[in-house]
Amino acid sequence: MFLLPGFSGVMIFYLLPFFEVARRSFYQSGNGVFTGTDNYRAVFENGAFLLAVRNTLLYMAAGVPLLMGISLFLSLLLRNLVLRRKLVSAMLLPMAVPAAVMVLTLQILIDRQGVINGVLTHVSEKITALPDFSAIDYLNTEWALVVVVCSFLWKNTGYMVILWLAGLAALPKEVEEAAQVDGANRWQSWRYIIRPGLSGSFFTIGMLSVLQIFKSYREVWMVAGSYPQAHIYFLQHLLQNWYLKLEFDRMAALTVILSLVLLVVCLSLQKRTD
Amino acid sequence: MGNRLTAPAWAVREYGKWRKRRRAWLAAFICTVAAVLICAPLLMIPGGSLMDNAEMKRMLSPILGEGKGFAVWHLIPLYPTISHFYRLLIESPAFYRLFWNTVGMTAAILLGQLAVGLPSAWAFAAFRFRGRNFLFGLYVVLMLLPFQVMLLPQYIVLQKLGLYNHPAAVILPAVFSTFPVFIMYRGFTRIDTEILEAARLDGAGEWQIYFYIGLPLGKMGIQAAMVLSFLEYWNLVEQPMAFLEEQAKWPLSLYLPQITIGQAGFAFAVAVMVLIPALFVFALGQDALEEGIAYIGVKT
Repeated sequence: MFLLPGFSGVMIFYLLPFFEVARRSFYQSGNGVFTGTDNYRAVFENGAFLLAVRNTLLYMAAGVPLLMGISLFLSLLLRNLVLRRKLVSAMLLPMAVPAAVMVLTLQILIDRQGVINGVLTHVSEKITALPDFSAIDYLNTEWALVVVVCSFLWKNTGYMVILWLAGLAALPKEVEEAAQVDGANRWQSWRYIIRPGLSGSFFTIGMLSVLQIFKSYREVWMVAGSYPQAHIYFLQHLLQNWYLKLEFDRMAALTVILSLVLLVVCLSLQKRTD
Repeated sequence: MGNRLTAPAWAVREYGKWRKRRRAWLAAFICTVAAVLICAPLLMIPGGSLMDNAEMKRMLSPILGEGKGFAVWHLIPLYPTISHFYRLLIESPAFYRLFWNTVGMTAAILLGQLAVGLPSAWAFAAFRFRGRNFLFGLYVVLMLLPFQVMLLPQYIVLQKLGLYNHPAAVILPAVFSTFPVFIMYRGFTRIDTEILEAARLDGAGEWQIYFYIGLPLGKMGIQAAMVLSFLEYWNLVEQPMAFLEEQAKWPLSLYLPQITIGQAGFAFAVAVMVLIPALFVFALGQDALEEGIAYIGVKT
């Protein structure tokens, strides 16, 4: 049958090892003693875990609404433009840029004595009405989270614009045109026609944005390494560092916790898309 | 509506047209600004790769910790030089090894995904079998999980199979990734089921249907999956870092961060070499790429 080779691979490399990890999360590695929920308790009592959860939630709370808002705004503007295709591809370009390349330019731009601070200082010196600008050390203060959110937006805006445009294209055009003929203004047609029509897209794109947050570790790691500033220490750093330190007990427990949380996200996503 | 004084009809029409045009221009302007902002950082790369070391050092000395003030950047170098490319392409044999590592890995993954994922996608699209919906749901969940969740499970299995520190440790899990299956599946669902039934009635075997109807008509989905996969695996970071101990086996994407900022010109030259294939694929596969992304969100 067609599915067999692929599915056996999925079993070997994804499902079986995952269940093995789930089993191990209740045991002590090495001597194989059953420890019940000890590993889970160790995770929840771990200071780094709490920090990472807090940061990840903060990152999500900032990144997801911003990403959805900006990309929706842009796609509403874009959808009737002649230049749409060119602009969309330009916005999609970051998908083709390897993380390492992006990080190289970022280092020069956002260093404490980097180009961005240079420009900002120059501007604030010229315009006396502005308060004195003292150079911010972006990566070593709480500004690090702002940098991460910006790079997340940079990377994912084009992607989400395409999803919104697909959602907008699925709306029947006649309804909106009829409303316009009847004298609805742009706010009204957004409020009563476009927004309700997009409610499915809101949900899908929101969930996909959450998942993109979890997938954006690559850039963060490349900019700041394994032990970044405390505000951008995320759950992925924790997993990666426990892996390097061979702390497999706690890692197994955390893997199970995280995948359960993400499973809920995915399942709710599926309910809506099917 | 009383006896309000109204402008002549042609004036109202002209005014409406003008307002519409103005709105379109404004929208175009805002979107262009956004697009330019998104692309702007890339403009630093070509100039940087052609810049000689003295100029680079002068510009970046504040970052390098040797000066006060702020770094500046010339988009166009004052004294262009190809010395970085010379050093990279002629004097660094290590570069070729890593470059071909990346090419080999990416090619192996894409071919594997075609060989394994394509039939799987076809199975989901063309057949209704027991447990299909459950299995498909499982595939979707797996494709959405971030790598870190699978880090420990895959480590265990690779260790058991004795593949740790072998290129296959990166290639095999990627081959069985469920993401391309999903994209190709969406491509196949665009095919009218009546065509398949007609073919079956005419006595075509399942393999014939797959090769002569499925593959040609599902081309867009296949292309989309390949483009998305290429961009993902050309840029691999976490997997080789976790599963390949020897640096000689690493891909190019892990080599670049090791070059310190003090050798920025050289790093930019490497960046150009990493970027060119990715941009090439991006330019060629743009329609497929956009189609593929839209597949992820659209309801079926």
